[in-house]
Amino acid sequence: MSDEEMDFSDDDYDAYYGGEFDGDVDHVDPLKNDPEYMDVAFLIDTEVERLLNESVEELSNSIQVTPSLAKMLLHMSNWNLPEVVARYRQDSHKLLTSVHIKPPQPPPQNVFQDGEVTFCPVCLAPMSPDNASHLTCGHTFCKDCWSMHFEVQIMQGMSVGIECMGNNCQVSAPEDFVLGLLNRPQLKEKYQQYAFADYVRSHPQLRFCPGPNCNIVVQAKECQAKRVICVNCKTQFCYKCGSDYHAPTDCETIRKWLTKCADDSETANYISAHTKDCPKCHICIEKNGGCNHMQCYNCKNDFCWMCLGCWKAHGSEYYECSRYKENPNIAHESAHAQAREALKKYLHYYERWENHSKSLKLEEETLAKIRERIQEKVMAGTGTWIDWQYLLDAAALLAKCRYTLQNTYPFAYYLEAGPRKDLFEYQQAQLEAEIENLSWKIERAEMTDRGELENQMDIVEKRRSTLLSDFLQV
Amino acid sequence: MAAGLPRRIIKETQRLMAEPVPGISAVPDESNARYFHVVVAGPEGSPFQGGVFKLELFLPEEYPMSAPKVRFMTKIYHPNIDKLGRICLDILKDKWSPALQIRTVLLSIQALLSAPNPDDPLANDVAELWKVNESEAIRIAREWTRTYAMGN
Repeated sequence: MSDEEMDFSDDDYDAYYGGEFDGDVDHVDPLKNDPEYMDVAFLIDTEVERLLNESVEELSNSIQVTPSLAKMLLHMSNWNLPEVVARYRQDSHKLLTSVHIKPPQPPPQNVFQDGEVTFCPVCLAPMSPDNASHLTCGHTFCKDCWSMHFEVQIMQGMSVGIECMGNNCQVSAPEDFVLGLLNRPQLKEKYQQYAFADYVRSHPQLRFCPGPNCNIVVQAKECQAKRVICVNCKTQFCYKCGSDYHAPTDCETIRKWLTKCADDSETANYISAHTKDCPKCHICIEKNGGCNHMQCYNCKNDFCWMCLGCWKAHGSEYYECSRYKENPNIAHESAHAQAREALKKYLHYYERWENHSKSLKLEEETLAKIRERIQEKVMAGTGTWIDWQYLLDAAALLAKCRYTLQNTYPFAYYLEAGPRKDLFEYQQAQLEAEIENLSWKIERAEMTDRGELENQMDIVEKRRSTLLSDFLQV
Repeated sequence: MAAGLPRRIIKETQRLMAEPVPGISAVPDESNARYFHVVVAGPEGSPFQGGVFKLELFLPEEYPMSAPKVRFMTKIYHPNIDKLGRICLDILKDKWSPALQIRTVLLSIQALLSAPNPDDPLANDVAELWKVNESEAIRIAREWTRTYAMGN
């Protein structure tokens, strides 16, 4: 995707022209007006460790505890340093008990009595103070048993929260205690890996990139449902919920929608076939491009793939095939009719959602074709590679806009009827019409004037950002 | 098989044989010292009274760092035991502690028979009936005890 390339060029632009070189130009940061903009940093593991260690060091210095304990305290309190310090100063015992560093009751007497043999309660072998160990709770076990206990826990994916072996004892083992008793270097490494992941997950300003096998950690001051594109693996995701980006729909609604689609997809698949008949000559048509403006190869009829209506009637002024028309008398109908109506309504939105998803895939093929055509043209000496870049930009913009358009359908499905919904569906229809226009022009790029295409790109992006700034809630 | 058997398992087995828990017998298999044949008597006052329930208990490689694996072999109508005989008991899962023993596990299972917990179910249909119509559930549990846990 060249989406992020565009974002980068924005950044580069800022770095180059921003700051003190601003001069007399009335500089408006373009990012500040972008409703999707979010200030994030991409960190690698060593940078994250440095960041965490700074907090650990600060806490350990200010309340005089070991770094290992400070780390545990921070982990258990979502890395809220001022709060930990305040709670510690107020009542250190209460804090340490609540985060399972200390037991609620004071530890029992030393288990080792002079002149008597003491047995480890786990392996039942005799033990001496030299080869035994205990946490703050005083439950004493031999070092071999501790080590085995940690191994088994780590193999199950546990790290920071590994508890004491005592029955009903919830005291957690701090990092240095575990590492000091583990024998195998491989397990030490595994423990540290898991612990690192736990620390990142408990830190409110950090997130792992959800991309497969990607180790990048994303840092943001605020947790917002906005787009993040990983610098490393290019995965695009919502910062708040970590799943695929979904503006203008919010995290909870998209989750509800996707569950619903997964539940109902059998019916939907059955009903929405992959082909449709031309409304005029009834020849069977398979959609092979992303654009919804169809032209029948047989009778040259121009029609809309979604509603099968005449394309001209969609016009540029009043495009409303995206709008679902509810039956006004539905409240008086039977339960059966209401259920049918509910399914009809869902299918209306689902078909459009699914259709845009398919269009996105088809437009990826168009992009590949554009690349080939550019290659051919450059080889044939018709313009340079740079001359044809605008086509790639147009395709990237189309993908970005269609992606947003796809995500407007779950939003509209859950939106309550009223003036807000009317406005939303109006804007959605406008965006949809312009996107189809752009798609049509890109598919026929040779015949389209460059100025006209760039004009169309501008219109589409404006429609998209207007819709987002009016309806995006983060 | 006794070679390489941890001291802990040997000690526990010896004690189980020397001082058995009332109402419970646990005997290691002849060919596998980690596999126990367990018989639990239905507790008095419970719908399982008079029944004799067979269980199998296996000590995994990591024992005692991991919990023993226990399963009912005799069919039983109980909200925390499913039709495969698997048991929903916290100490067999996340509340396991290496300081617990075979003896404590068996005692807990006996206690579970006396006090079913339909709010933390494993067999959902049984738990449901136990909550909405306890007397009917107890009647079925008695009937199952008669049918499957008495006689042979």
